[in-house]
Amino acid sequence: MIDAGQIIAIISILATALILGRLLSPYLVRVFTSAPQRLDRLLNPVEGWIYRLGGIDPARRMGWREYFISAFSINIIQMAIAFLILLFQGVLPLNPQGFPGLRWDLALNTVVSFATNTNLQHYAGETTLSYFSQMTAIQFLQFTSAATGISVAVAMVRGFVSGRKDIGNFYVDFVRTITRVLIPLCFIASLILVAMGVPQTLDGYMTVKTVEGATRSILVGPVASLVSIMQIGTNGGGYYGANSAYPFQNPTPLSNIFELLLMMLIPTALIFVYGRLINDRKESRPILIGAYGIYALDIAIAFIPAVALSAGMETRIGGFFSTLWTVTTTAMTTGSVNSSLSSMNPLAILAGFVGMLVQASPGGDGVGLMYMLMYIIMTVFLVGLMSGRTPEYLGMKITGGDVKLVMAAFLVHPVIILVPTVLSYATGAATSVITSSGAIGFTQILYEFTSAAANNGSDFLGSLANTPFFNISTAVVMFVGRYAPMAILLALGGSMLSRRRTSETALKTSSVAFSTVLIASIMLLVVLTFFPVLALGPILSFLQGHTAAGVG
Amino acid sequence: MADVHADTDRQEGDGAVKVLIESVLRLNPRSLLSNPVMAIVEMSFILVLLMAIYPQGFLPVANPGERGFYALVAFILLLTVWFSTLSDSIAERQARNTANSLRKLEEEVPCKKVVREGWESRTVQTSSSQLKAGDIILLEKGDIVPIDSEVLEGIAMVDESLLTGESTPIRKAPSDQLIGGSKITSDRLIAKVTTNPESTYINQMIRLVESSKRPRTPNEQAITVVLLGLTAIFSIVIISLLGLSLVLGLGVDLSVLLALYVCLLPTTIGALLPAIGLSGMTRLHEKKVIAKSGRAIETAGDTDTILLDKTGTITVGSREATEFIPLNGYTERDVGEAAFLASWYDDTPEGRSIIRLASDKGYIPRDLNALALAEVYEFSASTRISGVKLYIGGSLTLSKGAREIGQRLRFRKKFAESVDQPRYMAQEEEIIKGAPDVMKSRCTDIPPEYDGLVESISSSGDTAMTISREGRILGLIRLRDMLKPGIREKIQSLKMMGIRPLMITGDQPLTAKSIASEVGIDSYVPQAKPEDKHRIVLEEQSQTRVVAMIGDGTNDAPALAAADVGLAMNSGTQAAKEAANMVDLESNPAKIIDVVLLGKQLLMTRGAVTAFSVANDVAKYFAIIPVMFVMIPQLRELDVLGLGLHTAVISALIFNAIIIPLLIPLAMRGVRFKPSDTMTIFMKNVLIYGVGGVLVPFIGIKLIDLLINLIGLGV
Repeated sequence: MIDAGQIIAIISILATALILGRLLSPYLVRVFTSAPQRLDRLLNPVEGWIYRLGGIDPARRMGWREYFISAFSINIIQMAIAFLILLFQGVLPLNPQGFPGLRWDLALNTVVSFATNTNLQHYAGETTLSYFSQMTAIQFLQFTSAATGISVAVAMVRGFVSGRKDIGNFYVDFVRTITRVLIPLCFIASLILVAMGVPQTLDGYMTVKTVEGATRSILVGPVASLVSIMQIGTNGGGYYGANSAYPFQNPTPLSNIFELLLMMLIPTALIFVYGRLINDRKESRPILIGAYGIYALDIAIAFIPAVALSAGMETRIGGFFSTLWTVTTTAMTTGSVNSSLSSMNPLAILAGFVGMLVQASPGGDGVGLMYMLMYIIMTVFLVGLMSGRTPEYLGMKITGGDVKLVMAAFLVHPVIILVPTVLSYATGAATSVITSSGAIGFTQILYEFTSAAANNGSDFLGSLANTPFFNISTAVVMFVGRYAPMAILLALGGSMLSRRRTSETALKTSSVAFSTVLIASIMLLVVLTFFPVLALGPILSFLQGHTAAGVG
Repeated sequence: MADVHADTDRQEGDGAVKVLIESVLRLNPRSLLSNPVMAIVEMSFILVLLMAIYPQGFLPVANPGERGFYALVAFILLLTVWFSTLSDSIAERQARNTANSLRKLEEEVPCKKVVREGWESRTVQTSSSQLKAGDIILLEKGDIVPIDSEVLEGIAMVDESLLTGESTPIRKAPSDQLIGGSKITSDRLIAKVTTNPESTYINQMIRLVESSKRPRTPNEQAITVVLLGLTAIFSIVIISLLGLSLVLGLGVDLSVLLALYVCLLPTTIGALLPAIGLSGMTRLHEKKVIAKSGRAIETAGDTDTILLDKTGTITVGSREATEFIPLNGYTERDVGEAAFLASWYDDTPEGRSIIRLASDKGYIPRDLNALALAEVYEFSASTRISGVKLYIGGSLTLSKGAREIGQRLRFRKKFAESVDQPRYMAQEEEIIKGAPDVMKSRCTDIPPEYDGLVESISSSGDTAMTISREGRILGLIRLRDMLKPGIREKIQSLKMMGIRPLMITGDQPLTAKSIASEVGIDSYVPQAKPEDKHRIVLEEQSQTRVVAMIGDGTNDAPALAAADVGLAMNSGTQAAKEAANMVDLESNPAKIIDVVLLGKQLLMTRGAVTAFSVANDVAKYFAIIPVMFVMIPQLRELDVLGLGLHTAVISALIFNAIIIPLLIPLAMRGVRFKPSDTMTIFMKNVLIYGVGGVLVPFIGIKLIDLLINLIGLGV
């Protein structure tokens, strides 16, 4: 249960996130509309140099196909480079611990995981990756994956802008997102994190003598910079295997709140950016209400049980913040964790599932907005007819073609979550990695694939899942779960370009009434699709009176 | 009386039997292919039937001891499909019946067919529907041309004003084309029929919409995509549940899984979707309007701007005298009596209303008898005046107007008592009424307030008419446009639903403004010529509005073709009818409003049944999921309805099936709605069909469960 003070804490964190997002949004709009900025003097030459180096014509306007192919190929190239770095880190520099190269399937899983903004980690960073790998392969992909998500979302939104003929240029969006959004934000965030006690060093691990006289190795490294991008980029992949439960990644309750806010920053800001880009700020309202409404619903589900955490829990941050973190990290599909999921109450896990399955509350950087637009079009079509008009969004009629794209995007999740879950049991791969049988074990497997499909990255299994089956299957799920919806929803945005609009829209999508219907239909569609498996997993665990770890 | 009753009973009985047979024939899997949801239900039926026949073949997901249960499940599944085909058959029967009654409605025009017998030829009376191409017909002055034909002999003047809006009769000579519906105003013609009645436009249209291979409208296509998408999602869910159950040994029975599958599929909307579209068409037919496609009706629902011709739509098209205004020191009685005399021979609605007003007020002229000898000035477009010249006490020259005196005698008698002794003064007296501007030039003593008064009358939406006696202005008559009954409420409901009515009229701006504000219209185009409509349609569309309009004349055709919804009057020209996407057989322009509301209702019905169908799934999950995993008894805690395994499956399936026939009436008559703003309608429907769709099945399934236990059906 939750007390009044905690409710106030939640409300103030959410309110702060909303305010920060609102404050950041005008700046982001200037970035994406290439409006003059104070940073131009500094960054225009740098960006110009990058364009020249890459042979990019920044004035080129792209259709959705070209935009997607550009984004996709850049991602593939980055994956290939990162794959080679991980494979050969043993012979590469900045490896004071002398870690060997990764096995190919783990390397594949890791690069796909980071390139797709998932950051599912089948390894413990501090005992597997060199500084070089952390900084190049891992941190580099954390920047590019977040930038890809944000760029593609902005491109989709441009399709909804009245009078536009193109959805922009991927390379320009991508470069500007990194240079003007992610790097400045991470720089500021890193400084604050260092001030809060997170290490940032390239020296080797320190060996110190404890008070009792024993020798311990202190695992330091370039942690602060990684933590800032992992949260701001809704990546979630930590420096340490224990992620933000590890004191150096998240030293104090204050850093805990700060990191929560970092996760929520860009997804929230993009909602405001949406209204500004389409020149109709009130259309941000249903997305805001929808996203934060479902987020609040998740928090409510998670806090139903009397005991937030069970025995063996991480006590440094406490049950309240651990549960709030779990809900937030899934709602933003970040995937960083500050406590072991195994100690969570099944209903907190259920809330996590909802966050990942909805993937838009408010969801990961960019992708969350794209999913929410998909849900809005779906809802407008499903219920809009009841207003007595052909359903319209922003004055544009929703056609059979749009519905086809939305249904296709909607189909991705059930296919890539349910099919591999069944396959993992059918092949026996599941039973060899789960730590418990029955509902708890099933929850662990279902969570693994849901997290992979939603590009979240939090998991129960961690390095236990470092088996060829799970490395490859989750890599495929992450890949499809990232690029298939991206392509489909970009196509949807592209199809909206220069579509005939009516000036008077009868169905007021910006109304609170519609926003409520939106939340209801998102929940209905997700529940209808996943209720049976959720019943077999977290719901059954709850009914059996277990925590996810199986401790009663 | 009893006989008649028996007869109708038998007819209905025959129809019903035919519908039943037809619906059973449609169970043929091949005819279900166009409805994938129902095809899957039928496949599930076959699977469960096989389980009932040979359960051993389905181990380990079947139990040989459950054959009775399997048979029952199979039966309900078949019933579900049959309910769906039944709704199709009922809707189609209704559509056929209405289409047939429309055919009968096509106007029969009597005509004279020329039959040649050797050298002789004679004419036979027949009617337009009996004619066929190549027949020779005789047309004389006053006849209506029964059907499109070509002149063979003779020259005549033909009035095509009804069809083209061109008021002057047109001269027709051999090889000229005659349009069905036009009127011969002089002489006679021999003409050859050029079209067959059954290939007339209306007939072709009825046949078009009647055919069962009606193409899906864009909206139906989009809903079909959603249904296919949901079907795909539930297929994946069910297949993975089957896989999990097999691998983990959860003990799920295949028949239960298939029952869950069918319950989750959007069977309700899948079954009713064709019927909803067809009955939308039928409801339009019942209003005697034919649409060329279902798409036209849907577009009507999206209308933003509706062009309303003032005359015929907002006003009945005639004016009514409401006031006599004396001028130059005359009394109201002077004006009234003079108006009475001037209008005595005026048979227009205006003229009759002047007589009515004068006699209501008791202004019966003394010199009524003089009317018998009066000379009549008939109204003509060139003079724009009408009136009489009385010979009071003069010679008995029989004027042209006096010939019709016989018709007037009865009226005269009625007021004879109040007539004083006539004064025989043997003088000529001219009493003229006419348009104020014309009268101004005919009269000399124009009072200074004349123009202002005329202006104020027309600014209040009325028309002024000046009355004079011997060139002296007596006063004005106020004529008011008569509004169509109920038009104000209709305009109000249009506006509430966000549709902008735009009034088109040939009136002066002030008159137009006054009428518009009287019925609550904010936008109007005064002094509009028919050609302006096209420009207005394009202007509205350039502001991305969906435009609906009515039209009848040939010069309306471009506008009708450009408008998103064009409703042509059946009395109109062929060109107008071809350009429009709907035709009103009763030629009632006000019907455009009904058509728009009907379009809205059609869209709403489709949306409501879709939302209801999807929302129903929640309850079905809660009925079946808790009990289906035999090996996981803990899940039974979710069994909020308190059902057992068998009754849960049977109750949910029965509910799923029975909801289809229960909603057939809704599909047929459409969702009822009170005109109000779109968001109110929307939220109301969301509450009824969305929230209701979640709650109703919980209650329904529990009731069916109680009923099953009550009658002790051993399942």
